[in-house]
Amino acid sequence: MLSYLVAILTFVFIYAILALGLNVQWGFAGLVNLGHVGFFAVGAYTSAILAKLGVPFPWSLTAAVCLAGLFGILVALSTLRLREDFLAIVTLGFSEIVRLFLLNESWLTGGANGITAIPRPLRSLFEQGYDVFYAGVLGIVLVLLYLFLERVRLSPYGRVLRAVREDEVVAAVAGKNVFQFKVQAFALGAAIAGLAGAFYGHYLTFIAPEIFVPLVTVNVWVALIVGGGGNNKGAVVGAFILMGFLESTRFLKDFIPMVSDFRLAAIREILVGLFLVVLIIYKQEGLLPEKPVTDRP
Amino acid sequence: MKTKQRLFRKPWLGVACFSVAAFFLFAAGPVQAQEPIVLGTLCPLTGAGGPYGPGMEKVVTKVVEEINKNGGIHGRMIKLYHEDSQTNPESAVRAARKLIDVNKVNAIMGTWASAVTMAIAPLCWENKVFDISVSGADAISELKDDDYIFRTQPNSNLQGQVHARFALKSGWKKVAYMAVQTPFAQTFGDAFKAEFEKGGGKITDFVIYEANKASYRSELTKVLATKPDAIELMGYLPDSTVIAKELYKIGYEGRLLGPNYAINQKLVDNVGAEVAEGLYSIDPATNPDSPAHKHLKQLVADADIHAYSTQSYDHINLIALAIAAGKVSSGTGIRNTLRTVSNPPGQEVGGYLEGIKLLSAGKKINFQGASGDCDFDDKGDILSRPFSYYQVQKGKVVTIGRLDK
Amino acid sequence: MFEQFLQFVINGVVSGGILALPATAFSLLYGILNFPNFAISAYITAGAFLFYALNATLHLPFWAALSCAFVLSGFMGVGVDRAVFKPMRGRRHLTLAIASIGLSFIMENIVRFIWGNELRSFDLPVARALKFGAMRVGKEQLLILLTAVGITIIVQALLRGTRLGKAMRAVADNPMLASVKGLDSEQVIRRTSFIGAALAGVSGIMVGVDTIVEPLMGFKLVFSVFAAAILGGIGNAAAAVSGAFCVGLAEEVSLIWIPATYKSAVGFGMIVVVLLLKPSGLFNRQTAR
Repeated sequence: MLSYLVAILTFVFIYAILALGLNVQWGFAGLVNLGHVGFFAVGAYTSAILAKLGVPFPWSLTAAVCLAGLFGILVALSTLRLREDFLAIVTLGFSEIVRLFLLNESWLTGGANGITAIPRPLRSLFEQGYDVFYAGVLGIVLVLLYLFLERVRLSPYGRVLRAVREDEVVAAVAGKNVFQFKVQAFALGAAIAGLAGAFYGHYLTFIAPEIFVPLVTVNVWVALIVGGGGNNKGAVVGAFILMGFLESTRFLKDFIPMVSDFRLAAIREILVGLFLVVLIIYKQEGLLPEKPVTDRP
Repeated sequence: MKTKQRLFRKPWLGVACFSVAAFFLFAAGPVQAQEPIVLGTLCPLTGAGGPYGPGMEKVVTKVVEEINKNGGIHGRMIKLYHEDSQTNPESAVRAARKLIDVNKVNAIMGTWASAVTMAIAPLCWENKVFDISVSGADAISELKDDDYIFRTQPNSNLQGQVHARFALKSGWKKVAYMAVQTPFAQTFGDAFKAEFEKGGGKITDFVIYEANKASYRSELTKVLATKPDAIELMGYLPDSTVIAKELYKIGYEGRLLGPNYAINQKLVDNVGAEVAEGLYSIDPATNPDSPAHKHLKQLVADADIHAYSTQSYDHINLIALAIAAGKVSSGTGIRNTLRTVSNPPGQEVGGYLEGIKLLSAGKKINFQGASGDCDFDDKGDILSRPFSYYQVQKGKVVTIGRLDK
Repeated sequence: MFEQFLQFVINGVVSGGILALPATAFSLLYGILNFPNFAISAYITAGAFLFYALNATLHLPFWAALSCAFVLSGFMGVGVDRAVFKPMRGRRHLTLAIASIGLSFIMENIVRFIWGNELRSFDLPVARALKFGAMRVGKEQLLILLTAVGITIIVQALLRGTRLGKAMRAVADNPMLASVKGLDSEQVIRRTSFIGAALAGVSGIMVGVDTIVEPLMGFKLVFSVFAAAILGGIGNAAAAVSGAFCVGLAEEVSLIWIPATYKSAVGFGMIVVVLLLKPSGLFNRQTAR
């Protein structure tokens, strides 16, 4: 039972990091990224490929974060000058192109077979309890990231981002280079997704293109909106709620055996979608609304 | 009197006591005469494998019901837990964790997608849980799995050779290869190409296409421009259906060959008899006349019997027989004894009930399954085995021959 | 050689014809409601399954089933708008886009709940293609093409000639001004939702006729639909059709040079190129909104 809970906790931490990254883009800067899973994949594959070539984890992790951030810059540059809906559509396409690339360029990525036997950092130090160690490290990373992002939110930089989110024109008139801020926010969010990806790959020890599908992006959005559309605490809480929901329906099955499985699965997906839609309509701030920062009018 | 009052004055204490008691009651479970044998299935009930998972799970359930009705395995009942892999490696890992850590299964059956099997494999061998799947990717054979990972689906290298030999035998000189992007598109194609060219044939085109597209018109235009006598189509059911329809519309006069999990009665029903007329397919021989297959037909409806659920029948029977033979129900025990009931020598049996009779009499058995002979090599792969050839004739998939190995 | 190239072009035109309807629907909805409605993929799928229920299960003949499915899809669109988008009027349009993704999820899984994951086909005969020398055009595909063109003409006539059409354009351009002038924007939105969903539903039927019916069918098409609508220019129905043919041609003809495994990249590439060069769309007379 403990191993199961530790495993679920590990996934929660990864989704929480993903949600925090998405929050930088949406919550801080008001940008819609529908291709978050693409940056997640870039991070996972970069770290995995480098690690299998013998690169130590700290370096492969850094490379993963940087490359994901770089892609974030490129995607942002291509569309941020335009109406914001286009960013949404382009990011959706981006994640699919990433998946296609991973699937087809098997000389680099292993193609549809994926990458197996990804080395686990510091595995040899632990006979038992490695999973607990890994979850612990990930938890610490999450906490540090959270604290960092909270500092950003409350800083003057964060204030500018909020201004940009609320009204670009006013921010521009105030002399802020709106475009530059948006690109930075987007890239930061992408880099954070890359961080999550690297940890994810080393945890599963196996990654394949079919893992990195738009469904993951939708799940992260649900976590973000459910927890609190636009604040860091909400992102983390949302990840717990999401995973709790997804896993609890598993146990539900043992109690209602009469409904066929594919129907139950359909119901679960419908409920996830409903969560998202209902919360967006009626309670966009989510279950943990953003506490206004004191200097806001 | 006084103690009772005090207890109920603090209702939360009562609730807490009740909860703790209830927890232990539920956790402990009803009092068992003997500990049950715990097994799990992780079939694709949703996602890309969704059409196949429910049938697979149903077959295992029915076989277990029958075994339990007849006294279980040496008096121990089998307790089955089912999970949905969702044809998604991450969900599968969480599901496998639940099966292994919470339900404490000794074996997992029925993973379908190769990525799913590869994702849960490390979990299985690290926890000494036996795993048997229907996945076909060659990479699975190469896993350092301590012999815990078995499968009943022959790898693509072998299948490619068999298809090529059929093509040569049929007198085709120029064949175009088309495959959907999967873990075995390239390996199958390479094996097919090598074998076909060795026999004097010519591969006119080698096209791997994207899955889940709405049309393949131009892919086909490209391929047909090379004027093949036949097309070897390694696709899944959806894209194969679309391509078959399109070829008919274009007026393609050549032959088409593919795997039976794609070119089968479901495809025929979807495109109609005229479109499907003459399509060839091959799969590892399921012998419909085998006792195992006949028994399977008694247990479930025809609609649930397909290329994968026949393997599920074999999975559960193999595991049950291995447990019965070794008298150990752990994953390690199953791993150690499986080949003694699956491989020759031994008296051939087609199901658990048959087998247990012989085992109890001290005889050695050789389980011959509904999906094939089920003999395993040292990597846990199915040995080279018979294949069946099919062709669609007048709207029905008809067996037209066999390749015995 | 040339004949082969021509076949690619024909394939492209046919693909464009299939994309034309959903692109028009998407563009129309986008223009009037001012957000990309990702649920269009679910409308496509739902329309096809409704037709399936009418045609294959209830055995209605083609035109009867088509008309019923058209109407039912339309009402579904109105219902969905009422339930999900109406409470969100005036909200930031990106929020609506996110809601539409959730909606798409819900609808696709309702289809799964009812019909399962199985592949299906309509109860219609498959016809051999018409031959022109070495080139082939499928009969159904011609039908789809004609339907697409026909509906486009009708929609154009609607937009230019009728009061509803003028009202739609007014609401699209400036909702506040439109309501000041006495236009009931709710009614316009209702009718647009009906038309958009109905068109998308019919396009789903066309896709089902051409290929197969399954819960994923809308999703498979949706990215090319976005590309077509953006290429043409949001809100402009005729432009969407031109965009659809461009995308269709590009996707099929490009296979001469690029590997088939990157087919989806074509649509994406086109979107990026258009956005970098002329974001308002290639066929849109308006400048950027």
